[in-house]
Amino acid sequence: MGKRTKMKLTRAEKQEAMVGYAFVLPYLIAFIIFTGIPFISAFLMSFVNMKFISRLDNLKFVGLDNFIRIFTTRTVYEALGRTVLYSVIYVPVIMVVSFVLAYLLNKGVHAVKPIRSMVFLPYVSNMIAVAIVWQIMLGPRGPLYMIQKMFGAEEPLIPLLSPTWALPAVVLISVWKSIGLNFLTYLGALQGVSQDLIEAAQIDGANKWQQIKNVVIPSVSPTTFFLVISSVITSLQNFTVIQGLTGGGPGESTWVMSLSIYNYAFTKFDTSFAAAQALLMFAVVMVITLIQWRGQKKWVNY
Amino acid sequence: MFTTKQKITKWVLTIVMFTAGLISIYPFVFMLSSTFKPSGDVLSTPFQIIPKNFTLLNFETIFANEYFDFVQWYINTIIMTALVLIFKYVVVTMTAYGFSKIRFPGRDAIFLVLLGALMIPSDIMILPRYIIFQKLGILNSMWALILPSVVDVYFVFLLRQAFIAIPDSISEAAKIDGCSHVKVYWKMIMPLAKASISTMLLFSFTWSWNDYMGPYLYITDIDKQMLSVGIKFFSTGAAQDYGAQMAAATLVLLPIIIVFFMCQKYFVEGVTSGAVKG
Repeated sequence: MGKRTKMKLTRAEKQEAMVGYAFVLPYLIAFIIFTGIPFISAFLMSFVNMKFISRLDNLKFVGLDNFIRIFTTRTVYEALGRTVLYSVIYVPVIMVVSFVLAYLLNKGVHAVKPIRSMVFLPYVSNMIAVAIVWQIMLGPRGPLYMIQKMFGAEEPLIPLLSPTWALPAVVLISVWKSIGLNFLTYLGALQGVSQDLIEAAQIDGANKWQQIKNVVIPSVSPTTFFLVISSVITSLQNFTVIQGLTGGGPGESTWVMSLSIYNYAFTKFDTSFAAAQALLMFAVVMVITLIQWRGQKKWVNY
Repeated sequence: MFTTKQKITKWVLTIVMFTAGLISIYPFVFMLSSTFKPSGDVLSTPFQIIPKNFTLLNFETIFANEYFDFVQWYINTIIMTALVLIFKYVVVTMTAYGFSKIRFPGRDAIFLVLLGALMIPSDIMILPRYIIFQKLGILNSMWALILPSVVDVYFVFLLRQAFIAIPDSISEAAKIDGCSHVKVYWKMIMPLAKASISTMLLFSFTWSWNDYMGPYLYITDIDKQMLSVGIKFFSTGAAQDYGAQMAAATLVLLPIIIVFFMCQKYFVEGVTSGAVKG
């Protein structure tokens, strides 16, 4: 196909094509250097025994050894488990809360614009700066601490310093930070839901909940599909959130894959092992996306 | 006509949503008011929104600090962000134009490859990029943050959608009149897609300004650092000085918050009307 069209190109078309390539060339060069080559080299690194960044002598193909090591190194497979737990809390919470907020706002409230902007504000803010604020607000003698004291707690909980609560606290702060984007995206989708369909359902005697379940949710399913995938990816890219709030602690309670990858790559110089961990995360995203892609026919209506 | 019941529902919903809004901005209110309090008052109960003992001392602590050059970090971040915006303004729009308005062999196949890259988590790239920056000689310089930011598949995709929505008849007519692609792109498409391009620039501004991982990984000299990494140093150094920490956070967030409130329209409508579909 490609060849035939190439041969049939007229002079004008050829000229047009040259201009086209010129327009996209700067971008493609940057793409190859900063995304293409890094991705391919990360892939290749995962299957050799590269240590340190500059040492390329004694390279040996080691097959799946690096991947096997992930599942035999306690700190790493535990980090993997925590990463999964992180996503398993993050994705449902952000999806449900953003949908509910968008739905309620769309029902008609006063002061739509200020409320919209308030909910969106955390999304554009600097994670490290707000992490400092959260640390103080949730810390000793902060507002949360004082509320617990008021209710008579002997030893008020400081979530970010508690091995049990640090991870859920980090996830919720991360939801707070990112929800604005999902919220606005849902809002846009809800504005596109056909009013006729809802009225038809009302005439058929559907109650509020049935209307939401049978008309509204199916109508925004393409958006849900897109948001689930992008939220999964966001939830895995949690390096900044965790560095800002806990640095992986207390103990190892918020030590997740993004920190593990960084640690092996830049502190332990175990280059190939770090690459294998990163590749595994990519594989997880791919698998989740593919499952959704195949499953979408069942629940996504275009 | 609205019934009383509908009116009540509307007010109840407003209160619920407003509460959600307050939760969203509470940390910012806390931060802003603490910025102007002496450190001892930051955690005083009950919480004072308007500082009782108003002070600017916290800014003095930041700017008169002998270990950290906050002003330098500020300047670095401003220059870096400005360069990112200039590069993206030209390269991303040119690319979106190429992929939407010019026909060339392999166009759609290349575009599909780019879209596939949307799924690559950034973690996988950190190490190979480090090596590439080293080879290019841009490690430990702001170019290590600027050049990769041009590879913004997401906005190439969104701008391509926006350009496709502009009828071809406009550009075809111009071309018949002898206009080149360069002219059509710069004189016709760019002005017509102003809203989408503004959305890209605003988002890119916040992303670059807020980026932590990039400078943390690729910049080692403290005087070349960016604000995000800088305030982390600072807050660790000023461990118990809550007022100064809050003032530092305010300084980082202020430009973002100002731009956000001035351009909310582009942020909010950019997302709500965005070509986000499947």
